[in-house]
Amino acid sequence: MAIAAPRTLTDRAEPIDAAAYFELLMNFTRREVRGRYSQSLFGFSWAVAQPLATMAVFTLVFSRLANISADGAPYPIFAYAGLAPWFFFLNSVNSGTMSLVQYRNIVTKTCFPREIIPLSQVCSRLLDFGAAAALFAVLMAYYGVRLTPWVLMAPPLFALLVAFTVAVTLMTSAANVFYRDVSPVVQIALQLWLYLTPIAYPMARVPARWKVWIAANPLSGIVEAGRAAVVYGRAPDWDLLACSATLTGAALVAAFLVFKRVDRYFADVI
Amino acid sequence: MGRSRTIVDVIASNVDRLRRRERDVFSAAQGRIPATVYALSDVTLDVAEGTGLGIIGANGAGKTTLLKLISRVTWPTSGRVQVAGRVVSLIELGAGFHPELTGRENVYLGAGLFGLTRRDIDRRFDEIVQFAEVEQLIDTPMKRYSSGLYARLGFSVAIHSNPDIVLVDEVLSVGDAAFRRRALESLRQLIALGKTVLFISHDLWNVRRLCDWMVWLDRGQVRASGAAVEVSDRYLEEVDRATAGRQAALPGRRAGTGEIRFSSIDVLDGGGRPADRVAEGGTLVVRAGYDTASRLPAPVFQVAIVDVETGVTVASATSSAADGPPVIDASGAVDCIFESLPLRPRQYALRLTIADARQLASYDVVAAGPRFTVVPAAGVQPVDAGDGLVGLPYRFEHRLRVLS
Repeated sequence: MAIAAPRTLTDRAEPIDAAAYFELLMNFTRREVRGRYSQSLFGFSWAVAQPLATMAVFTLVFSRLANISADGAPYPIFAYAGLAPWFFFLNSVNSGTMSLVQYRNIVTKTCFPREIIPLSQVCSRLLDFGAAAALFAVLMAYYGVRLTPWVLMAPPLFALLVAFTVAVTLMTSAANVFYRDVSPVVQIALQLWLYLTPIAYPMARVPARWKVWIAANPLSGIVEAGRAAVVYGRAPDWDLLACSATLTGAALVAAFLVFKRVDRYFADVI
Repeated sequence: MGRSRTIVDVIASNVDRLRRRERDVFSAAQGRIPATVYALSDVTLDVAEGTGLGIIGANGAGKTTLLKLISRVTWPTSGRVQVAGRVVSLIELGAGFHPELTGRENVYLGAGLFGLTRRDIDRRFDEIVQFAEVEQLIDTPMKRYSSGLYARLGFSVAIHSNPDIVLVDEVLSVGDAAFRRRALESLRQLIALGKTVLFISHDLWNVRRLCDWMVWLDRGQVRASGAAVEVSDRYLEEVDRATAGRQAALPGRRAGTGEIRFSSIDVLDGGGRPADRVAEGGTLVVRAGYDTASRLPAPVFQVAIVDVETGVTVASATSSAADGPPVIDASGAVDCIFESLPLRPRQYALRLTIADARQLASYDVVAAGPRFTVVPAAGVQPVDAGDGLVGLPYRFEHRLRVLS
């Protein structure tokens, strides 16, 4: 037996080291992914079915019927470039909101950093996004869209998307522990949010007096910049992107602080 | 003191007011009952490193809340909890397991929840699986495990995750007798290694075998704390007092053909007084009343003493034809007397049977009759109170080998 270091009394929960924290996050993520795709015939292909089907509907409704132009790019590519990040956000927030309540059994019986549960929900959607992105590459090749060096903007933009998703998920999951009404509200809000984000339409089509409201939504800047970088191969709208990045940073810090303040009551009220 | 009001509290109290929930409850029998119930209040405890502390008390006394506070699952409204070292809580076995994952994957998942890294688990993996005895099923999804196996793996993961402090909340009742024994033994080893074990169980004898110290919680307050023997004796006395005079009703539906039925079963001490505690080495009298409407030639009475924890029949007594009248045709009572009872301090149950003279058919069977507890004889400190059901008279003789 190794001789244990002298221990001191503390009032706080014993912190776990970074390796164990990461391990725990990965374990929860694996658990989530395995749980979702076990005993399913098509498994991962469901991850791409969602954006693909929506892309088809959008192409029919917005491009053919409403005649919205995609500024030179093929409309399906234009829509899909917005839908892939959107579904990452949607699915993360949707399952993240319920996650703490779903894991009630663990929350009320063991002590571990609670944010790992909503974080693992977001992490598990990274895989889905990976599948969606792979399909996007195929679509790009099919429509013959050329990449430019601006495509290097994609990873930092994706990091921004993840950061904003984490911020929202932390907030909604914590709130849902206290009031279950949060979950249905979130679901309705997400339906509206899709149309308040320039996904089916380009930002350029938004009337000037509404622009400020669309810009207040951090997803707008991320989606627009992503499309500029990958589909159009040009510089993003820096003002819009800066606005998104600032809001995202603020949201992330606020969400994390609030979460850590209230998480000690989870086991009592859940 | 008290925690500051957070925005959540403010919202919650306002919503509660809207729902008119802030009012106290009025009960016809007890008058005003405060709406806020504190699971624990004014509890001060010090547990030294390397102690086994038993926590006993009725349901709702706050035992689990205490463990949850120590494991930081929940936080006190006021006051503080100070802990040194890594806490592993067994409030529920296998709480972190996912039924779709295999046993192997769940070991990593569960041990990860206790703060172990993959490398730590790799090293202990075989030990964990061996202890739980689930080698064959380790690559099977856990949804196909029985609840006992599920619990075994949960327990094994917990005690192998290098804890300094182990919190055990009445979780051993799921496993089979052999596993329970091994689990208790492993907890005892942890204490011997200088780890601290806090143990909740309603099985007082298990608590006493594992823990030298005991805390008795009663409606959120410490009723008594100190040496396990003293606290458990006080606790038993109180339980006795509370249940005294309450005749244990015999179960209504019983096996047997029914020509003759037990009408009462009483446990008495040597002096003929009702008692559900008998001293080790003392006298135990089982008095069975019976009732019959038929004429029965010399029915046979059987009394068996069963160990409650393991279900093992420790001893049985069978009446012979010479013990009673040749024919029974009315009600009566029979005493079965055990003198100088050699049973170890544990809890036992009685099983009583009336069979026909040739013991081919049973007239009446009381499978789970009244229980009694054997307590250490006054003044005698049990040396190895832990093990065995029966105390046999023995002596050791020691010889050195004579060199030729």
